[in-house]
Amino acid sequence: MNTATIASMEHSMFTLSGTTLAATGAQTVNAALLVSALLFAIGLVGFLSRRNMIIMFLCTELMFQASALALIAFGKVHHDLSGQVFVIFILTVAAAEAALALGLVVLLYRRRETLDSEAWSELRETA
Amino acid sequence: MLELASISNLANLTPAVIGEAASAAIPAAVPSPEFAWAGLILLLPAISAVLCGVCAAMGVKNKLPGAITAVALLAAFATTLSLFLKMPQDAPRVIHLFDWVAFAWTGQGATWTSFLAPFSLYVDSLTLLWMLFVTGLGSLIAIYATEYMEADVGKGYARFFGSVSVFLFAMGSLVMGGNLILLYLGWEGVGLASYLLIGYFYSKPSAVAAAKKAFIMNRIGDLGLALGVFLIWMNYGTVEYDALFKALAAGGEGATSEWSKAAIPYCLMLGAFGKSAQIPLFVWLPDAMEGPTPVSALIHAATMVTAGIYLIARTFPLFALEPHALTVVAIVGCATALVAATIGMAQYDIKRVMAYSTVSQLGYMFLGLGVGTTFGAVYHVFTHAFFKALLFLCCGAIMHGMAGQLDLRKMSGLRNVKGFGVISWTFLIGCLCLAGFPFTAGFFSKDSIIAQAFASGNPTFTLLGWIALFTAFLTAYYTFRVWFRVCGGPTKYEPGDEMHGHGDDHGAHDHGAHDHGGHGHGGHGHGGHGHGGHGAHEWHPHGPRLAINGVLLLICAGAILAAVPSYLGEMQHQPNWVETMVSHSSAAGGIPSHDHAGGDHAAHHALSFTGIADVHAATSVVASAAGILGILVAVFFHLINRGAADRLRAALLSNGLTRWLPLALENKWKVDEIYHVVFRLPAWVLGHVLHAVDKQIIDGVVVNGTARLPAELGRLFQPLYNGALQGYAATMAGGIALIAAWVFWIWMQGG
Amino acid sequence: MTENLSSDRTQPVTTHHMSSPPSLTLVLLEAASGLSPAVQLTIAAAICAAGLAMLMQPEGRKLRIAGTVLGLAGFAMLFVEVLKRASPAGADTGLPPVFPVVFGFLALAGAVRMITHPRPVFAALYFILVVIATAGMFLLLGAEFMAFSLVIVYAGAILITYMFVLMLAQQSPVAGVGDAWYDRMPREAISAVIVGFVMLATLSDAYFSQKSQDLRNETLVRTEPTGTAEAWARLDQMPKLLLETARKADASIASVESLDAKTGTVSARTADGAPVQVVLGADDLPDNGRQVGVDLVSKFPAGLEIAGVVLLMALFGAVILARKQIELGEDERRGLAGMRRLTVEGEAGGAAGGAR
Repeated sequence: MNTATIASMEHSMFTLSGTTLAATGAQTVNAALLVSALLFAIGLVGFLSRRNMIIMFLCTELMFQASALALIAFGKVHHDLSGQVFVIFILTVAAAEAALALGLVVLLYRRRETLDSEAWSELRETA
Repeated sequence: MLELASISNLANLTPAVIGEAASAAIPAAVPSPEFAWAGLILLLPAISAVLCGVCAAMGVKNKLPGAITAVALLAAFATTLSLFLKMPQDAPRVIHLFDWVAFAWTGQGATWTSFLAPFSLYVDSLTLLWMLFVTGLGSLIAIYATEYMEADVGKGYARFFGSVSVFLFAMGSLVMGGNLILLYLGWEGVGLASYLLIGYFYSKPSAVAAAKKAFIMNRIGDLGLALGVFLIWMNYGTVEYDALFKALAAGGEGATSEWSKAAIPYCLMLGAFGKSAQIPLFVWLPDAMEGPTPVSALIHAATMVTAGIYLIARTFPLFALEPHALTVVAIVGCATALVAATIGMAQYDIKRVMAYSTVSQLGYMFLGLGVGTTFGAVYHVFTHAFFKALLFLCCGAIMHGMAGQLDLRKMSGLRNVKGFGVISWTFLIGCLCLAGFPFTAGFFSKDSIIAQAFASGNPTFTLLGWIALFTAFLTAYYTFRVWFRVCGGPTKYEPGDEMHGHGDDHGAHDHGAHDHGGHGHGGHGHGGHGHGGHGAHEWHPHGPRLAINGVLLLICAGAILAAVPSYLGEMQHQPNWVETMVSHSSAAGGIPSHDHAGGDHAAHHALSFTGIADVHAATSVVASAAGILGILVAVFFHLINRGAADRLRAALLSNGLTRWLPLALENKWKVDEIYHVVFRLPAWVLGHVLHAVDKQIIDGVVVNGTARLPAELGRLFQPLYNGALQGYAATMAGGIALIAAWVFWIWMQGG
Repeated sequence: MTENLSSDRTQPVTTHHMSSPPSLTLVLLEAASGLSPAVQLTIAAAICAAGLAMLMQPEGRKLRIAGTVLGLAGFAMLFVEVLKRASPAGADTGLPPVFPVVFGFLALAGAVRMITHPRPVFAALYFILVVIATAGMFLLLGAEFMAFSLVIVYAGAILITYMFVLMLAQQSPVAGVGDAWYDRMPREAISAVIVGFVMLATLSDAYFSQKSQDLRNETLVRTEPTGTAEAWARLDQMPKLLLETARKADASIASVESLDAKTGTVSARTADGAPVQVVLGADDLPDNGRQVGVDLVSKFPAGLEIAGVVLLMALFGAVILARKQIELGEDERRGLAGMRRLTVEGEAGGAAGGAR
């Protein structure tokens, strides 16, 4: 078995034609990176513009997704599984954050009976 | 060489000035530590001032301060007299008392630049002459004031005599100081004493205003003096007289520039004009009469105001270097003499008349300096000190006895009032001297000035001589206008509306309870002051007692005896004593030679029409005629036919063409008003503009604006810190993105 | 910066193979083809941002339709531009890869809908869509284990937690008023979009500059077709699996001596001690999950431990937070009792009043 065959077998599930494998891999990586950048930007916009604290945390999860995608894409480029290992850590952090943050949100909601993040802006400068 | 320079300069200007006296170099000063006791002349008034201060602090309620001052001044006079008798006057003596100002620093190269002003005395005959009449008159007037100021015993008495002592100390420092810095110290000191004494009745607004006016006017002159001293130091590297005259004799090496050298006499001149009340700074002196009369006599007639003359006489070699400086001095002096005399003609307040006559006589002195006779100027200072002090003291005595009355329309025939005899007759002597009546002291001194103006042969000076002659006529007229009005004619008087020594605030006091010298105060003419309740008292004037009368007689004798040097000079064909004194001093450059009478100018002088060849004799005749004419006019208008003066005034006023004349004279040529518009108003406007600038621009924009800037900037960014989590997050994320872009850009640049 | 990005790019811009995109995209591409690539990327990002800004406006259906069109156009431009760059010089890759585009589109559409939907529950559901699409991308990148664990952990665990919290905290829509005002009204949408645009432009310019692209392509070509050697090396660390794999190829093998990572040749011995060599094939490679597991425990043991501690602490924290009895202040009690609040009337009470 030559290397080309091995590679084609590796990509057999999703490779549609006999195009140059390197080019296809590069296209996939580029697409993944672009999606990652866009997801991160959208998550950021959502975090900045949504008032609902739960949605804000959801948006941080979105940004976690984006960074996980970028890590895996770069791991693909370098044929290094460390990227995927990092994603495991990201999942860990996301899970811990979700547990704590959502607990806090529930507490905050109990105090003010609203999920509006601007209900908690007493620290501002009084105009 | 100084002699060459001064001769060549003077030759263009005042040919007759040149004589052997002028060509004699100023002798080098002799250090004389054995005369260190001359420092007592300064020390005694200083001690007296301190003791008066102690008296004031302890609240002494008797005449002790006056006695202390009188004794101290008499002792100072005695010291001066013994110094005059013991010290050889062939050369100036420098008496080094102690080191005072001594700076030295490295200049260019290895030379040392120094600024030395030791506390030393420079005593020559000019100094002695000046100090004799300063301390002599000072002690006499202090004695006079012990009685005059008795109403203020326990109140301002110590303050008054303390100020007088300060004045004497400062005047001594001014005259005897061995350098220009000591002179400046004394100059400012007499200004301070003058300010304090003019404002003696500090609760009276007009006195306070007059004091401020005098002080501020003098500041202008002092600026000139200070600049002059600076320029002298820059050009000659010293402020000590002895070294300065040596430097001048050596040709003034080390001068920085021509203009700065030429500016020196003009700067000094400004200082002299300020202190001696000449145009344009003369308006303070008449107002200074707000002070107690002894002060007017001592400071504002006899001594302080002659400091300007002294300054120019002392630094005469500097003036001789600059071709036009003396001409300016002469013109200004002559114009001041004329203007002040015209104003004096139309005043009703006898003290003001005397004040304007002082300004006018000072103008004569400057004329004398300007035309080149330092002798004439100094002699006139000398005689004027006596007769003007006498006149002022007479005015003061009248005022003292007449409850502050000074209006010559409200007094008449005082010679017949009991107790006023001495005043009237000594007053007459003073008036004769002032009017230049033949063979009085004023006659000789004034003539020597006018004669020099004619003798110079310079057409400008000849014109000034004619003006001076006309002024002499006016002087005689206004002097005798006062005397005939006050002392001549039928006896008639009414008291003044206030007592001297009483401020305006005394208007509310119970005068009846205050027995003044054994005489009650009447309610005559007091209606406006609410004193009608005291009308029951019979008011009558009280004559002065021994202290005043004695002093009047002594000074009167002095005024008469001041003519003695001239008599001796004429009879013994010797140089006048004053002339000898002056010729041995730094003012010797201004002594005209004695052989001018037989010189080329004699036959062609301006007074040749009299047929008298000698210009001095001719001047004497013409000036006597002018003086007697003036007295006769005064006799007509103010003794024989008193209504004529008013009718003349009414006639002048009714004619549109001449209407301005009496109004201008009575309103003092509106000089104060002109100064107000020309100087005070712009300064006022500028001050308000600057105030507005300060408030709005400096305070408003620069100071508060700077303070407000951070607050405004903070307010600009305040919305970012609205407390909302996402606001901070947006800032943070945007910042991170920009930093990332920057890092990425660096990475791209790095290749 | 944009000039630097494109200065060394000599490859002619070719668009002829882009036959399938919508006509609007074609027009935009034609218009943009004259510009330098970095500027094109930035313009496309700006178009995306503009579309997103329109979509975020709560009012106006037409505006949202226009925003959708604009967003799609920007998305297409970005994809075309980015995929074009992936090709090494001269290489014609033919049709664009369909699956990355489809998954990417799904993920982005879900994300956009997630941040624009007024109802938090729907936002959470759209987030599941994003997670699944991202998992698809993971599969395309050869990370099967992570793809499935993502779906399991996120969609299965985290999102369920979110749902519970939403049930606990979210106010149900009020009849006539609709959703809570703070869900309907985005907060400073424009400035948020601007910040997002800056982030996107920075990221995309960094990812797709010619320099980074060349570096990436170079790495890909050098290590392509695969990380087979690394995979054999990982297999070498797993002796039991190696023995099993070797036995699958040759049942006579009793023990494995070594594995040549370059060729995949196993040196082994039979039960009687005779040496035997077996060349393993692609089918014999360990699967992704096993490889990740090996890397996780061999390369990052400390990180693994710390991750465990973090999870434990999160567990404790969640328990404590959930148990904690909030000490209500005077004011809160007044509010709960239906009385007028004293101080925070404008903060909490104003919620019903709509946008401030």
